[in-house]
Amino acid sequence: MSGAIGAMRADAAKLLSEGAVKLVLGYCVRGNERYPCFISEAAQAEALDFDQSCRQNLAAYLRKPEVRGRAPLAVVSSPAVCRSLLVLSSESQIRENEVRALAIGPKGYGGILGLGALGAWLKADYPDLVPEQALLDRVAELSAKTAQERAKFWMKEFEKCTRCYACRAACPGCYCERCIVEKNMPQWISSAAAGHGNYAWEVIRAFHQAGRCTGCGACEAACPQGLPLMLLNARLSQDAFEEFGSRPGYELEAKPLIGSWSAEDDGSFIR
Amino acid sequence: MKLLDRSKSTDFAAALAAAGYRVAAPVSDGGLVRIKEWAPGAEIAASEMPLNSMKDFLFPRTEVIGRWTLEGDGFASQDVRPDAPKTAVLFAKPCDAAALAVLDAVFNWDCKDCFYNAKRDAAAVAVLACGSADEHCFCTSVGGSPGEAHGADLLFRPADGGLRMIVEPLTAKGKALADAAGSALSEGQAQADPIARPAERFDPGKASAWLASNFESPLWKELSLPCLGCGACAYACPACHCFDIQDEGSRSESVRCRNWDSCGFGLFTLHAGGHNPRADQSARWRQRMMHKFSYFPQRFGRLACTGCGRCARLCQAGMDIARACARISPRENA
Repeated sequence: MSGAIGAMRADAAKLLSEGAVKLVLGYCVRGNERYPCFISEAAQAEALDFDQSCRQNLAAYLRKPEVRGRAPLAVVSSPAVCRSLLVLSSESQIRENEVRALAIGPKGYGGILGLGALGAWLKADYPDLVPEQALLDRVAELSAKTAQERAKFWMKEFEKCTRCYACRAACPGCYCERCIVEKNMPQWISSAAAGHGNYAWEVIRAFHQAGRCTGCGACEAACPQGLPLMLLNARLSQDAFEEFGSRPGYELEAKPLIGSWSAEDDGSFIR
Repeated sequence: MKLLDRSKSTDFAAALAAAGYRVAAPVSDGGLVRIKEWAPGAEIAASEMPLNSMKDFLFPRTEVIGRWTLEGDGFASQDVRPDAPKTAVLFAKPCDAAALAVLDAVFNWDCKDCFYNAKRDAAAVAVLACGSADEHCFCTSVGGSPGEAHGADLLFRPADGGLRMIVEPLTAKGKALADAAGSALSEGQAQADPIARPAERFDPGKASAWLASNFESPLWKELSLPCLGCGACAYACPACHCFDIQDEGSRSESVRCRNWDSCGFGLFTLHAGGHNPRADQSARWRQRMMHKFSYFPQRFGRLACTGCGRCARLCQAGMDIARACARISPRENA
C-alpha cells in the first residue's frame, strides 16, 4: 500500500504544480483518526494518506460551494467514492474535466482517472462491491420479522435521532439545495426531534436513496447516535436491484432509477 | 469521610429513585454510553464520557411550551407548565457541570425562562472528577479542571485505584442526595486517586482578543473547509443553547415547540425573503467560534465552551475547535 500512496501523492503534486487542478481532496491521519484534508500546493502532498479506515465519502464535498468554486478538483477516490462520483455524474451534478479521481483501493493505485474511466477501473478491479455479509445477515434477520416487529424496532431507533443531519451531510447523494426538512413555509415535516417527525425524516431520507445509495456507509459512520442506517439503505438497495436491476455507480451515463422512466416500464401495478 | 463503592453505583441510583428522584446517569446503551434516565437493570458507566451532555435534562431537544385549542369559534390557550420532576444527575462530567453557568446566564438574561429554570431548580447535579482524559479533552485550556465541581451539588472523587469514590456534598441539594442514598454510602477512609491533567492547548484570552479583530480573516475559509454543515457538534455541546420555535398541529389543536437549532445550518439564518446573511459555511463556522470565544464572553464574562471535546470527538470531518483556537492563539511555550 505504501507504493500506492507514494504514487497517489506524486500524482496529486503533479496535478497541482501543473495547474491542472486547484484543489485536491484527500485524507490525512491525525492520531488514530482519519480525516478529510484539502491541499492546494504540491508541497503539501505528503500530508495525503489512505487506508481502509478512511470512511468519509469525499464526494460529499462536491455539493459544497466553497469546494466546488475551486474546480477543477482532484479527489482521492476509494471504490466507494468512485461509485458516488459516477452517481453524481449520471444525475448531472458533476461534469468531466471538473473532477478527476486519484483512484485508490485495496488492490492498489489506479492513477489519475477522468469520470469516463472510472467505470472500467471499477469493473476490472471491484466488479462486485456488495455489503459485508454481517450487514446482509442483519437485513435478512430484520426482514424476517413481522411488520409490527419491524415498526417497533425502528421506532425505538428513530427516537434516538436528534435531527443533527450528520447523515445527510456525510452523504454525497444528499445534494438538494433545500432538503425536505428545510421546507418551512409552511413546515413540511415536523422539525421536533421526536415521534412522527423523526419517523418522517428517517424514512424519507432512506427512500430518497433507493437506487442511488452506493453502500459506502458514511451516513451510519457519521451518526453520533449510532443509528443502524445501513440496514435501511441495504434493504432498499436489494429491492432496487431485484426489482429493477439497479446497481448505481458503475456507469457514467446510467439512467437514475428514480429519475427516469420509459413507456415500456411495467405499469401493471397501477389499477 | 463518606464513601461510595464503585460496585454500589447502581444501589445509589436505586436509593435515589426510591426516594422519588428521576435519576439520570451515564448508561451503556447498545455499545454507546449516553446520559439517560436510569432504570433498574441499566448498567452505569460512571467514568465514561457520554456522547450526549446533561443539558438534555435541562434544555431538551424538543419541548412543548404552549398549547391551544379551537372548538367552533372558541379559541383557548391551554396552561402549559414545565415538566420538571425532581431529578438527580449522577456522575456528570466536570465540564458538563461547568456549562450550567453558561445556560444559567443565557436563560436568565433578558427574560427568566421558566421552562429551563424549573428543570434547573429541580435538578441536583453530582459530578465525578475525571481520573483520565483523552486527546480531545481540553477543559484546562478554557479555565476548567477535571477535579473541580463548579456548578455541581455534590462531588465524587475517585479513590483507592478506582474502587471507591469519596463523596463530598457541596450544597443543600447535594446533602439531600447523600442523605437519600442510605446504605449505598458508607463511612470510612480512602486515598483519593490523581486526577487527569489534559494539556493546555491554547490561551483563551488571546483567542478572544484575536477573534475580536479578525471577523474578516481569510483564515475562516481555510479552517471551515472540511465542515459539511451538520448540527452534530452543537447538539452534543453542553453549552450550545440555540433553539427554534415551531408551531405544529391540526385545525382543532396546536402546540408550540422549542427545538434545538444550530448555527451550522444554512436555514438558521435564512430570511423569509431568501437572503442569507451567513451565506456560506465559513460564515457559519466563524459564528460558532465567535459566539463561544468572543460574543458570549463580552456579554456574560465567561466562555461558552468548557472543553469537553465532544464536538471534535464525533466530527467525521475533523473539525476541532481546540485546534482552531490553538491556531489563532498558540501558547507561548507550545
